[in-house]
Amino acid sequence: MSDQELRNELKAPVEPLLPIEKKLIGWSLGIGVALLVLLVIINHFLPVA
Amino acid sequence: MHEVHVVCAHGRVETGELSMSEAALSPNAPVAPRLGEDGLAVIVGIGVLILALVSLYGPDLLGWAVTTSVWADPTKALGAVSKAYAGLGGAGALVTTYLALLVVLSAGAAALGAEVRKFAVAFTVVFIIAYASWFVGSWAYIATVTPADQAKFGVSWSLRLTNEGGYIVALIVGLVIANAFPRFADWLKDAIRPELYIKIAIVLLGAFIAVTAAGKLTLASSLLLRGVAAIVEAYLIYWSVVYFIARKWFGFSREWAAPLASGVSICGVAAAIATGGAIRARPQVPVLVSSLVVIFAVVEVLILPFLAQTFLSSQPLVAAAWIGLAVKTDGAAVAAGGITESLVLAKAAAEGINYQPGWLIAVTTTVKVFIDIFIGVWAFILAYIWTNHINVKAGGEKAKASEIWERFPKFVLGFIVTFAAGLALALGGAGPKLAAAVGEANTFRVIFFILTFFSIGVLTDFRKLWREGFGKLAAVYLVSLFGFVIWVGLIISWLFFAGVKPPLVG
Repeated sequence: MSDQELRNELKAPVEPLLPIEKKLIGWSLGIGVALLVLLVIINHFLPVA
Repeated sequence: MHEVHVVCAHGRVETGELSMSEAALSPNAPVAPRLGEDGLAVIVGIGVLILALVSLYGPDLLGWAVTTSVWADPTKALGAVSKAYAGLGGAGALVTTYLALLVVLSAGAAALGAEVRKFAVAFTVVFIIAYASWFVGSWAYIATVTPADQAKFGVSWSLRLTNEGGYIVALIVGLVIANAFPRFADWLKDAIRPELYIKIAIVLLGAFIAVTAAGKLTLASSLLLRGVAAIVEAYLIYWSVVYFIARKWFGFSREWAAPLASGVSICGVAAAIATGGAIRARPQVPVLVSSLVVIFAVVEVLILPFLAQTFLSSQPLVAAAWIGLAVKTDGAAVAAGGITESLVLAKAAAEGINYQPGWLIAVTTTVKVFIDIFIGVWAFILAYIWTNHINVKAGGEKAKASEIWERFPKFVLGFIVTFAAGLALALGGAGPKLAAAVGEANTFRVIFFILTFFSIGVLTDFRKLWREGFGKLAAVYLVSLFGFVIWVGLIISWLFFAGVKPPLVG
């Protein structure tokens, strides 16, 4: 990919976030934070031996 | 510019027009290889371990491997790892090790579809420069840490990089070649295979970690459970935040944002390429992202282990987990884990605390391997979303569950096999003979680490950062990595590993 092509690509009009992308971001973050909280609780009750 | 073939993580070969250093990321593969790098790494790693384990029941087949001690007198630096081969002398051990690696890796290069003669010539030069760097790094002025060691070697000062400072020397030498002598770097590229070298090293590391863990099995299993947090963090938290930053703040298209998010969040090159394949991006996109990953991984390797030593030496396993979460690409992360272990253990030893070696690198490797395992699953999820909701085409190709296996990093299986074998033998009471045998295999692990560091340096062309348009990609990486990833990684490492210490020697 030439410098010119790369520059043109990166200056292309912004694609708005689709609902499915928003769902992907939201669900990933939500599940991730929930699982981490769960793991922290497990870590608390089952400390490293 | 060259028309090159990009061997993707899933084994398919795609083509695209790439610059010289981009091409170096995926060395010449004019035809689809009969064996992938993962398969080769498993064969070589397990092969070395089997040869080492023969000494449990019979002759010592690998005792000739060269090892380097910290030196003030260079004639006393090199030697064979086993006393049984002391007659070889340092130079004899070095030449024997080189010839053995040359034969095995040239056969491997042939199996990968590379030109054997070109590989052999380039590998010879790579080995000479890389091992010379390691040798220099073991000089007492660079390696000694404690005043007692300095007195022993008769030096009044030292850079205190430990005897693994040679990794940093190899990396810097590689960087100098890449940035000051690009034509020489291009000439070397047939033997510049950091992913292959580190995968062999990780397979070998499995047995070493098993022998270390066998002594404290409860602690080891507790640490393994905590590795699960790394998977959640990398895939669900890092990825979504970096993707959002790339799309919303920097206005990148989906085709660029997804591989970029995977490169920053998961495990660098392999994840960027797997994601590129999953969302059907043009092959140039993940390759450009991968070149960025390598550049920033080098910056991290040069900075983070020293920060870990300075600020986290009282929490060694927090430091180890943090390195595994923060440094991208397997090679850079596991190698940085090795340096971090040396630096942190040396600082602790200077304060009178002698931790058992092996635990820090075990945690870093576990974190990295756990993350690697799910690349295929994540690529499948993205492929499903992209083909069904974003790039929907009538009669278009849909995501297949078989892609999970296709994108699974097969070298992880080698790690599991050597870990299981090492653990079974250790629990079976193989004792000191096993430790000696695995120590011989570990000598080769160190050599593959050295080759990895040098190769990463040779692939890192900092001039790319000034390439027009590249700055915006680098900006996303910079903001995400240094503004978010390393800090969240530190918090989560602290939550799960604070207060947990490696066992003490004796």
